Amino acid sequence: MARRWYPALCLCAGWLLSLTSRAAADPPRAGADFFEKSVRPVLAAHCFECHGARKQRGGLRLDSRAALLTGGDSGPAAVPGKPEQSLLIKAVHYKAEPKMPPDAPLRPEQVAALAAWVKQGALWPATTAEVRPAPKGPGFRITPKDRAFWSFQPVADPPVPAVQDWAWPRTSVDHFILARLEAAKLRPVEAADRRTLIRRAAFDLTGLPPTPEDVEAFVGDESPDAFAKVVDRLLASPHYGERWARHWLDVARYGEDQAHTFQARKYPQGFRYRDWLVRAFNEDMPYDRFVTEQLAADLLDGPGRVERLPALGFFALGPVYYGDPKKLDQIDDRIDTLTRGFLGLTVACARCHDHKFDPISTKDYYALAGVFASTDYHEVSLEPGKEGQPLTPAPKGKAPKGKKAAPTGPFIHALKEMARPANMRVHVRGSASTLGEEAPRRFMPILAGDDPPPFTHGSGRLEMARAIVTKDNPLTARVMVNRAWQHLFGKGLVRTPSNFGALGERPTHPELLDHLATRFVASGWSLKRLLRDIVLSATYQLSSRAEPGSQAADPENKLLWRANRRRLEVEAWRDAQLAVAGNLDRTLGGPSADLAAPDYRRRTLYGTVSRHELNPLLRLFDFPDPNITSGERTVTTVPLQQLFVLNSEFMVRNAKALAARLNAAAGDDAGRIRHAFLLLYGRPGTERELQLGLAFLASGETPANRGALTRWEQYAQVLLSTNEFLYVD
Amino acid sequence: MNNHPGTLSRREVLCRIGGGFGALALTSVFADAGFLSAAPSAAAANPLAPKPPHFTPRARRLIFLFMNGGPSHVDTFDPKPALARHAGQPLPERVRAASGRPNNGRLMPSPFRARRFGQSGIELTEIYPEVGRCIDDICVLRSMYTDNPNHEPGLLLMNTGNMQPIRPSMGSWLTYALGSDNQNLPGYVVLCPGRPVVGPQLWSNSFLPGIYQGTHINNRSIDPRTIIRDVNNRYLPPAAQRGQLDLLQQMNQLHLERRGRDEQLEARIASLEMAFRMQAEAQETFDIGRESAATRRLYGDGEFANACLLARRLAERGVRVVQIYYGNGQPWDDHGDISNHRNHAQRSDRPIAALLRDLKARGLLDDTLVVWGGEFGRTPTSQGARGRDHHSLGFSMWLAGGGVRGGLAYGATDEFGYSAVENRIHVHDLHATLLHLLGLDHERLTYRYSGRDFRLTDVHGRVVRDILA
Repeated sequence: MARRWYPALCLCAGWLLSLTSRAAADPPRAGADFFEKSVRPVLAAHCFECHGARKQRGGLRLDSRAALLTGGDSGPAAVPGKPEQSLLIKAVHYKAEPKMPPDAPLRPEQVAALAAWVKQGALWPATTAEVRPAPKGPGFRITPKDRAFWSFQPVADPPVPAVQDWAWPRTSVDHFILARLEAAKLRPVEAADRRTLIRRAAFDLTGLPPTPEDVEAFVGDESPDAFAKVVDRLLASPHYGERWARHWLDVARYGEDQAHTFQARKYPQGFRYRDWLVRAFNEDMPYDRFVTEQLAADLLDGPGRVERLPALGFFALGPVYYGDPKKLDQIDDRIDTLTRGFLGLTVACARCHDHKFDPISTKDYYALAGVFASTDYHEVSLEPGKEGQPLTPAPKGKAPKGKKAAPTGPFIHALKEMARPANMRVHVRGSASTLGEEAPRRFMPILAGDDPPPFTHGSGRLEMARAIVTKDNPLTARVMVNRAWQHLFGKGLVRTPSNFGALGERPTHPELLDHLATRFVASGWSLKRLLRDIVLSATYQLSSRAEPGSQAADPENKLLWRANRRRLEVEAWRDAQLAVAGNLDRTLGGPSADLAAPDYRRRTLYGTVSRHELNPLLRLFDFPDPNITSGERTVTTVPLQQLFVLNSEFMVRNAKALAARLNAAAGDDAGRIRHAFLLLYGRPGTERELQLGLAFLASGETPANRGALTRWEQYAQVLLSTNEFLYVD
Repeated sequence: MNNHPGTLSRREVLCRIGGGFGALALTSVFADAGFLSAAPSAAAANPLAPKPPHFTPRARRLIFLFMNGGPSHVDTFDPKPALARHAGQPLPERVRAASGRPNNGRLMPSPFRARRFGQSGIELTEIYPEVGRCIDDICVLRSMYTDNPNHEPGLLLMNTGNMQPIRPSMGSWLTYALGSDNQNLPGYVVLCPGRPVVGPQLWSNSFLPGIYQGTHINNRSIDPRTIIRDVNNRYLPPAAQRGQLDLLQQMNQLHLERRGRDEQLEARIASLEMAFRMQAEAQETFDIGRESAATRRLYGDGEFANACLLARRLAERGVRVVQIYYGNGQPWDDHGDISNHRNHAQRSDRPIAALLRDLKARGLLDDTLVVWGGEFGRTPTSQGARGRDHHSLGFSMWLAGGGVRGGLAYGATDEFGYSAVENRIHVHDLHATLLHLLGLDHERLTYRYSGRDFRLTDVHGRVVRDILA
């Protein structure tokens, strides 16, 4: 039971503006005494805190007669002479929502005094200056200024800018970057050497390190398209899909259970969504199709329906909440994930009030909420002979009393349309007990134009998907292009990848963003083409060296005068360890398993992702909370992580395997050390590094206690623990 | 960004990074690299470094004794003689109606006698005699209320300010705001013999950076070598590991030299040293065998007693937030027989009193805030023959130490203990007050996420100023 009138969920500034004025008329004296003695003290003690100068819950102030009569979101608070029609009096009677004050009812004599006062006309004697509430506008309206905001402008196809140093650019991307650098009187640093470059590209595109053979082949390839060949090979690798599926899983807040445990819905076959993503990326499914299938695969015609249905996991695997009978919190998650994920808009801010900063109304919110309220979770069988049919519940008697039997055969977590799709009404101030106008299911006017037509087919999910991927939508392509850029450079052109609204950052290179978005759509929404275009640019291939002058002028490297040094995500770091130790099982797809199991040698992507209890390794290394959509990972560096590096079984196991692998690779320690540097870092070790290694191996003795690491195993652990192995230049 | 690297002495720099490094190899590594000028930025990059509060705090650290399962207030800190006078009768209609909640039970007196304690003469039941003897240092809050009488939402609201598992915990907010005074230990430690219901979401960082999550320590076993994950190296003695780490740092140093200054690379070099030191310090900290026999006697035996003693050792070493869950699951959830409360009290009475006295004796109680309570209280009416059900409309908690008025019973429930009626304190108000005592304005402690600023108290919360010393 919510004690509060409205579960306002966000804090937004900018609503405290108010105007002052003098009271218009002097009320009669007799009323004044009564007011000062019995009414004002009650209002002051119990109402002003939330409905006064400082706060206006529900848009309501109760500290002047004008404010009282103007009222708040639910209308005037008092009708002079008619206490029975006055919201204020109804609220303090405490018989129906809203009950006020929220903490405890007023005493009966206080209620009586307020009612008598309203009955007498709600007179308010002037004492000092009164505060008039800010004039209320005629409801929500999108202004020309709103439409002029950069991200709502149509995507342009700006001309490729001219540059002075015409020899530097390799692709159109470089013109946009160099033009800005030249304007700022900066120069890009030199290109990265080939060993650095192939390591960078291999991690960026597949999440795995290059093999020594790959590195040497690239270094020795004198053909002009040597790097293009590397990039094409990486994009064609099945590991590309694994890498980029994981990026998308962050956005999709993928998890296989719930944060709560009591009667929680689990997703034991959620991996089918993950595998669908891997396939979609590997097959370079056009992004508009990629979006549409995730939102509405069940509503699409054409062959391959059963193969398509796992795409619905984007929502079907979403969190559901305990104590959420009307699914309002669940719908809020869906709207948040949908709009931040695909559109870079924080529409969930409009649950309780019109968005404070972006032109999004509560009506827009409930228009989308109606789509989700008209959609149901649904399980679809994959049993031979029953493929695509609704999963039938287990026969009676099999399930323990009061519990739904867990399905045993293969099936898909999917969605379906409700039998009777329906609109929702606006929940005034987010409260289910204060319903406002009906919000017909439709897309947001700021993106779809004034008075967008209501959705007419079922829930409207497919129409919603189409509204997202229509070429007229200014955000969809920009947001995805920016995500791709962010994963290649560490930061997006817009540095708030899931917020392209007023509180998000502005693009550092707006023309480049549009240029790429235009090409992305023109290429048939091909992500591989987009990535190839970017990776083959001179900008991507820059060294990460910090040039002191440029560093001083642009310390955040917003203008991209160099490459950003980046820490590997936990997945790539773990996978890389298994790979160089010769322990990695490269099998694609299938059910998830416990990453913590000692013999688990598959890619981190295939580890179980629990919303209730995230695997400790993932949690320790900044894996995002799978309860909420995430556009960008935080990077923290803390001692508990290094305890894992120094002492964990995982590190020791890989160190032993690596030592054994190196032992077999060469006949003497010097040869083994040389091979190790090629294997782990893609470069030969220096003489100094060789000597350090030899000295370490020759000194000290293997401790005598059982299970102790040999000198070589200790050395192998060091090699796996270095900054060089963890960071990509 | 630190703009004045020259103003810090070498010693200050080293202290800021890791509480002092001693004569380790790293010192020369730093000197070799001209690292001293770079070190402040590495320190600034340490997200657990101590940070100033909004205003002068009354407490520097928090110990939250969480009685999970929901302790009955009328059987502990809010005795109600009216229950005996009206035993077996239904709750009077006016009391029930005022609460707006149905109740079909019969009033059931407490099986425990009430007693007055201390100079303040505050009444509590006989099951907490040792705590009773500390009552003049305690402020009992008798007018707590919360939004939901079920464990999961109740636990989540009390720990994160929200009934859904989507928000950072209070401990995470506090370490985010204040950092920690000891860089060799986690800043936010959660002790539980086993695990409370809901589990990790109760100490989740949610959208705050991962470093601010609570470190859950299962104190069923208190072997210092295993109590923190990976804190002990099973393969190498410390000297050999030091040699291994020296090689690693030399290689990291060569890597850094080829690249020039880089905060993140430097921060990881420093972090490896901190971890090495943490191995020793954490194992020392969690070794309660180092306490004197007299101190061990003071706390008594048992998992909860050990946890209280560990809490003192952690507080002493500058850990910002320690939360102790009384037991695995939801032990205080006495639906069947409320007289079980006697057992819970017996296991916790002496350790709690020992913690308060020990902190006081060491001068730590002045700036350590101790909180006692659960996710809600229990009904004054019976469930079954002798049990009590969950109850959210009125219950008790208490505070002691840093900035709190001792010997005060604040607020009140009605004469049957059904609803909080006087000076009501919602969970958000409690959070606002705890933050205030730690020097933080709950309306200013915000984090920008998803396009908006979030708070522990959302748009609610009011500091209960009457209880401030």
